[in-house]
Amino acid sequence: MKPFAFARPADAAEAVATVATEPRAVFLAGGTNLVDHLKLGVARPDLVVDVRRLTSREITDTADGGLRIGAAVTNSELAADRRVRERYPVLAQALLAGATGQLRNLATTGGNPLQRTRCVYFQDVSTPCNKREPGSGCSAVGGYTRYHAILGTSAALPDPTAPETCIATHPSDMAVALAVLDAQVQVLGPAGARTIPFAELHRLPGDDPSRDTVLEHGELITAIDLPPLPAGARSAYRKVRDRASYAFALVSVAAVVADGEVRLALGGVAHKPWRASRAEEALRGGPVADDAVRHAMDVELTTAQPQPGVDGGNGFKIPLVTRTVVATVRDLTQETQA
Amino acid sequence: MSAPARTPAGAPGHLTGPAGGGIGTDAQRPDGTLKVRGEFAYGSDLWMEDMLWGVTLRSPHPYARIRSIDVGPALAVPGVHAVLTSDDVPGAKAYGLELADQPVLAVDVVRYQGEPVALVAADHPETARAAAARIVVDYEVWEPVTDAIAALGHPRWNAVHEDDAEVTELSRESAHLHPEGNLVRHLKVRTGDPSPTADVVVVNTYEVGMQDQAFLGPESGLAVPAEDGGVELYVATQWLHVDQRQICSALGLPPEQVRLTLAGVGGAFGGREDLSMHVHACLLALRTGRPVKMSYNREESFFGHVHRHPATMRYEHGATRDGDLVYVKAEIYFDGGAYASSTPAVVGNGGTMGIGPYVVPNVHVDCYGAYTNNPPCGAMRGFGSVQTAFAYESQMDALAAALGMDPVELRCRNAMEQGSTAITGQVIDSPAPVVELLRRLEAMPMPDAAPDDLRHMPGGVSNTTHGEGVRRGVGYAVSYKNVAFSEGFDDYSTARVRLEVVGGEPVATVHTAAAEVGQGLVTVEQQIARTELGVDRVVVHPKDTQVGSAGSTSASRQTYVTGGAVKAACEAVRGQVLARAAELTGRPVGELRLFDGAVVGEGLELPLAEVLGDDAVEETLEWRHRPTEAIDPETGQGFAHVQYAFSAHRAVVDVDTELGLVKVVEMACTQDVGKAINPQAVIGQIQGGTAQGLGLAVMEEILIRDGKVQNPSFTDYLIPTILDMPPMRIEVLEYADPHAPYGLRGVGEAPNISSGPAVLAAIRQATGLPLTRVPVRPEHLTGT
Ligand SMILES: Cc1cc2nc3c(=O)[nH]c(=O)nc-3n(C[C@H](O)[C@H](O)[C@H](O)COP(=O)(O)OP(=O)(O)OC[C@H]3O[C@@H](n4cnc5c(N)ncnc54)[C@H](O)[C@@H]3O)c2cc1C
Ligand code: SF4
Repeated sequence: MKPFAFARPADAAEAVATVATEPRAVFLAGGTNLVDHLKLGVARPDLVVDVRRLTSREITDTADGGLRIGAAVTNSELAADRRVRERYPVLAQALLAGATGQLRNLATTGGNPLQRTRCVYFQDVSTPCNKREPGSGCSAVGGYTRYHAILGTSAALPDPTAPETCIATHPSDMAVALAVLDAQVQVLGPAGARTIPFAELHRLPGDDPSRDTVLEHGELITAIDLPPLPAGARSAYRKVRDRASYAFALVSVAAVVADGEVRLALGGVAHKPWRASRAEEALRGGPVADDAVRHAMDVELTTAQPQPGVDGGNGFKIPLVTRTVVATVRDLTQETQA
Repeated sequence: MSAPARTPAGAPGHLTGPAGGGIGTDAQRPDGTLKVRGEFAYGSDLWMEDMLWGVTLRSPHPYARIRSIDVGPALAVPGVHAVLTSDDVPGAKAYGLELADQPVLAVDVVRYQGEPVALVAADHPETARAAAARIVVDYEVWEPVTDAIAALGHPRWNAVHEDDAEVTELSRESAHLHPEGNLVRHLKVRTGDPSPTADVVVVNTYEVGMQDQAFLGPESGLAVPAEDGGVELYVATQWLHVDQRQICSALGLPPEQVRLTLAGVGGAFGGREDLSMHVHACLLALRTGRPVKMSYNREESFFGHVHRHPATMRYEHGATRDGDLVYVKAEIYFDGGAYASSTPAVVGNGGTMGIGPYVVPNVHVDCYGAYTNNPPCGAMRGFGSVQTAFAYESQMDALAAALGMDPVELRCRNAMEQGSTAITGQVIDSPAPVVELLRRLEAMPMPDAAPDDLRHMPGGVSNTTHGEGVRRGVGYAVSYKNVAFSEGFDDYSTARVRLEVVGGEPVATVHTAAAEVGQGLVTVEQQIARTELGVDRVVVHPKDTQVGSAGSTSASRQTYVTGGAVKAACEAVRGQVLARAAELTGRPVGELRLFDGAVVGEGLELPLAEVLGDDAVEETLEWRHRPTEAIDPETGQGFAHVQYAFSAHRAVVDVDTELGLVKVVEMACTQDVGKAINPQAVIGQIQGGTAQGLGLAVMEEILIRDGKVQNPSFTDYLIPTILDMPPMRIEVLEYADPHAPYGLRGVGEAPNISSGPAVLAAIRQATGLPLTRVPVRPEHLTGT
């Protein structure tokens, strides 16, 4: 591990100022992702700024009938909150589908959406990786791609040496639920506070795969707001993984069904939690029978680029995610009709 | 032998544990409470105030020539006490269990990713790591050889199987990783008609991925320099004396100067049979004159031990229309990786056990172990039989399908029994209740048809199905494994047993070098001493090299062989005590026995205190099982194995055919253990072995690309969790093996062998897919 300085400022503003003035500074929350990266040499900061006690650890009702979740609220606390379980089951289910009890006790609302990809090449500092080492290339192309993206990638076989290539997925379950819930992210930065729609927080690799989100250096998440869902809305999260617990998603689905409207977000398929807006559009106003949902997913996945790989590639994700969406929507529709 | 000047914290002490419980009882483990309370010291807990930390610089390349190594920048780091390379190895530069082909530190060439190149000792582990990173190694990177069959230069398959794939056919094009070529061993079994024909023939090719032992306690040890110029090594390992032999040869020291003590072992499963940090820590301690601790982290551990051989296997089974096996031909390739480790013995087991517990008149097996630039593979629970069982049991199912027969019927029809002839020509001279194991499984009740709890569905709490798209399958498999060392190996163990009276109470002390790795051997040692000596309190002496070799804790052999040695030593002690009592009482020895702390006979009860006074009676002896012999290199015939273990599994699975998710609903197991010395521990072995087999069937695999490990962590290398492992029904049979102590049979490996193939068979039945490779993943089941 590379040596670094450690700071525990008095308040959030000081933390922001401290990080903003030191180019190689990072925030530390629960540490369940960052500390691993420090050990592996993936993160090599000069300064680590502990913000764990500087943001709110409360979940409060908002005037519009939604909830505000302080950035320091742990994943366990959030999943157990009665309001969350009753009004946003998709979020509680997504949280509980992630990691383990011990990890969720430490992981935070601010840290979870900002966890970094589990791409094995990103974590192996001896291999080229544009996300870790901009411009070094992408080792995942043609490698083990089961956990990699099918959407938002540049090509079916991107150029492994090009600096913009990255086929990683975002690993967070919670983030997929937040994307479908139209959450808002409250941010404090050197230039003051701002609000970012959750769907815009994460980026596609674009021309700079090293950047996961639109946050500027020094910007701190202070809270995440959940707008209210329409009365009678039903929501659920489903995750397909290699073992019954304690594994990242091969694919996952967060869905909300309300007033005949269907909202869908997909995990494990892209560099960011993927809001399936084309599928939503295709379903708008029409019936939501299995066939219609399957068709809507076909529409969503017309741009999909399955990646070949030494393990047979990840084309299996196309039917897998479609079937998961169909079943999830079917169950929610039946619930709303019951 | 001189005692160590100082003992580190975390060094093992005597285990006394709860008193009571002879053989056949669920005696409590002497280390159980310590382990449950988190007070048991493992190798990574070893500590000395003035110790240094050793770290290893490893090769990032699977195959490369080392042009030069510059250790200067590392030596310049403050806090660094030594930096060593192969030039600093005073004795033999290479070591190995069966062939001394593995460098202590790389000499000129590195042959696998993670091969140790240099060592650093510093006053802090981070300092040592930072210094190691500053060593400059100039590599000329070569293209790795990563396919076992290509490494041997064989055509993909011997087309019709008529010709042997001769060793002499080794391709001159393929890179030879070692001077003698890439072939580590070729085992042949030839019986009956060389060109048999049959009514029904099934041919398939199977693949098994590379499995890891996934023990929880990483490789750890502490070397303490001794005043006599030697070294004391505390280390978590499986066989102290074979370690000692290799360390002595590398250090150029005699055995008296290299003294080993077993540190707390957090699991082994074969992964600690080879050396890891042993010689390294000793080299650094001798160079610096300070105690040196080395403890791998999880990632390094994946590079620090051998794995289970991946295998590619082509099988051809021929049978009559009635379902009698006529012939089996098999071609088995084990990828041994860069160094031999125990590949020769794995090839031996894989080949001679390679068609399973069936009687077949005509057999033609070729089993190869090859060198490649993949990670070295060696011992892991099941040792060659796990891989072949996937193939031969899949073949039995395929044959049953081709014949339109029930798979269990086909197995029973061809099953071996006591008196059958194995493919090595050996007559099975102890019970072989294969048919009964299967019939008992069939008779067990089936689990409920439709689970009501989400946790019991495929995908479990991930909420993926509530029953739609779910299909159930049932599969059976049988295991067949040699117990103890085979093929003429001088297999023995040594036990020292002392009986004395301490504070008025008789106490027996058992001292062996047999490694306790979690399996419960220390409990068994106590139980045997209690039964043989009629005392309650039995102390287990720390395991060290102050007593003779016990052989390895592997091959399901310790309860048999070290148990046999403890029993024999106890008998010798008992003989002496009874002789004394006979002298004291004037009764003939034949009328006396030891019971409840006293010498008893007709109307006589003489407390041991009165017989022994202040004396201790002590006996040390070596005990061997009956000898085995080498097999004929051309035919594979010979008395190769001393004992066989048999178990059978029935797996019931639910498969979500839409999403490819498997829920193993129930595992049922029957196993013949000869005699359950500790029934609870037997159940533990069966459950653990079953879980490890299930893991290989559906998730466990070290992923290798171009010779590089892709998933060296427990986040990316998946092993079953409690939610993946179902409840079990277990029936334990006890048909005594007349040749073994108490009639017992080794237990540890068999359930690991039959479990995975049963799961695979069940998934196959549920899905109708051929599934010829394990682990099976969701995308193999979704029909996409
Ligand atoms: C073995 C294992 C299995 C896991 N399995 C899953 C899983 O199945 N599903 C899943 O979703 N997750 C999983 N996780 C990931 C886990 O959920 C994340 O590590 C965790 O949520 C991160 O939260 P944290 O508070 O510990 O973040 P930290 O590790 O402290 O920080 C993560 C990142 O966020 C930044 N950061 C933290 N807080 C803020 C803030 N307020 N503002 C701005 N930046 C901030 C940090 O600088 C850092 O870059 C797993 C983790 C492990 C180790
Ligand atoms: S996919 Fe992205 S994270 Fe993975 S190696 Fe390529 S650039 Fe790095």
